[in-house]
Amino acid sequence: MRICVGICLLLALALPVQADQTLVMARSNAKAAHVMDVLKETLPEYGYSVAHVQRCDGGMAEFDYKTDFYRVVFFGKVEEVRRILARHPEMSPYLPLKIAVIAENNETLLAAMDPRALAPMFPDDAELQLQLSRWYNDIQAMLDEMRQLKK
Amino acid sequence: MKHLNWLFLLLCMPLFAAPDGKALYEEKCSACHHFRGQGGIGLPLSPEILAQVSDDYIAKTIRHGRPGRIMPSFQKLSAAQVSAIVRYVRSWTGKPGPVFEAARIQGDAGKGNVLYQKHCVRCHGKDGSGEGAGTGVTLSRERSFMVMPAALNNSGFQKSASDAMIRDIILSGRKTSNMPAFRDKLSDQEVAHVIAYLRTLQPPAPRKGLEEWVGKPAYVMESPYDLETTVENVKQALAGANFRIFPQRYLEQGLTDEFSMNTRQVSIRFCNFKELYHLLNIDPRLGTVLPCRINVLEQDGKVLVISANVAQLATLFNNQELSEVGVLMEEIILTVMEEATL
Ligand code: HEC
Ligand code: HEC
Repeated sequence: MRICVGICLLLALALPVQADQTLVMARSNAKAAHVMDVLKETLPEYGYSVAHVQRCDGGMAEFDYKTDFYRVVFFGKVEEVRRILARHPEMSPYLPLKIAVIAENNETLLAAMDPRALAPMFPDDAELQLQLSRWYNDIQAMLDEMRQLKK
Repeated sequence: MKHLNWLFLLLCMPLFAAPDGKALYEEKCSACHHFRGQGGIGLPLSPEILAQVSDDYIAKTIRHGRPGRIMPSFQKLSAAQVSAIVRYVRSWTGKPGPVFEAARIQGDAGKGNVLYQKHCVRCHGKDGSGEGAGTGVTLSRERSFMVMPAALNNSGFQKSASDAMIRDIILSGRKTSNMPAFRDKLSDQEVAHVIAYLRTLQPPAPRKGLEEWVGKPAYVMESPYDLETTVENVKQALAGANFRIFPQRYLEQGLTDEFSMNTRQVSIRFCNFKELYHLLNIDPRLGTVLPCRINVLEQDGKVLVISANVAQLATLFNNQELSEVGVLMEEIILTVMEEATL
């Protein structure tokens, strides 16, 4: 029995802590405009403010790109942004956080950078590493919600 | 103590439960390959293709991914999880996959090269890296093929595909993607030569960003001017480099009310539309890092000019075409930043 407990603990500790991917992505059955609306409601539920939404689809058709909906949502928590920039101004290009919402026919593709991809560049800052993981958890959870949206 | 042991066992349960292939596929694969393998950024996993590839090939592809061709390598999945995904993919057709011998097929790469140039190069490219820009299905893009040929020179493909499987694909072709069957055009010996040649193909070596900035999240330069002057300088330098500049924003804008917003942190956003749309064709996920911006921050009595390390950022997409663009962009952005802080 002891051994079993030991093995379980070992297995639990060996569970993946690092990312396979550097982008977080999800496909949703719902239409992009709907996903966008729900995402804007979901962000505050996770404590984030929506800073702004950037439209990228303006002239895309002119350049043979056929999607009609391409938006990027910027979001963040001001206390977090301040705390991190005070120590790491070099994190400013990555803040606020963002999620791209792209129509693919009647479905929607969501993509965000996995914040943990930045972790190796800050090997000495455990607090920042933790923060990057928290952001990842939130982004992944929100994208999972979007993935499960009905048509 | 006894109770405690049971508690531990319970906590460990999920580790021993059979992994759910559908859930794993939807989480890890569907964004690129679509819910039932219709394809997208990723190649279709259609009934025709599934009938041509072995379980071993799919499993190895999951493990190795396609370095430089978007598909990540899933090193952290357990063997049981990988098998569960393969089983789920197979459940779409309900048919087991073919099994191929692992043995190498002997051929003459020199003769294979001649045959490749004659029969394959127009679709698979000079070095086997595929035709045109991008990968996968033309869902949102205009292209000459409905399905973009995979990169045959990719190490992930080379490690996953056995010679016997490649032979079978060459003989049968692929109807949905217009690859002709070579059964009547090439002899067994000739096919063996082509395979020997394919095995010599290698992806071009990736170009790297400037040594000075490798491993750093951002380019940071200190400006000798005050915040306002620096912002103007950056804008002028950007306009000089033919970028269109968006209305500027404060970094905290929208995150807090305008009275508590820090107005000593300015984001200058810019874009070159023509270039952008070209790049979106290469990789539609590019929006996750757009628009480009240069931040000017006043902090601890210093004025800092900061941009994301675009050469580094581009590598996140595991897309070699984009990585090359990242290296070019690095040069342009560093020039702008130097000009603005001169
Ligand atoms: C008319 C264009 C065309 C020609 C000619 C052609 N192919 Fe293809 N081939 C494709 C396309 C498109 C695909 C992608 C099919 C898919 O995934 O649906 C493909 C797929 C393949 C694959 C499977 C790769 C993978 O990862 O799925 C192999 C191997 C291959 N081709 C080898 C060859 C060889 C060798 C020749 C010459 C003898 C050749 N092809 C000629 C268009 C072509
Ligand atoms: C980020 C996008 C992405 C994700 C996620 C992804 N793939 Fe892929 N996959 C691709 C691309 C792109 C290719 C084709 C590479 C090329 O063009 O050389 C590919 C190729 C493949 C192939 C080879 C197809 C052929 O015709 O030979 C298989 C099999 C495959 N992927 C399975 C999977 C499975 C299973 C998963 C989930 C565990 C997965 N992929 C996750 C993008 C992705």
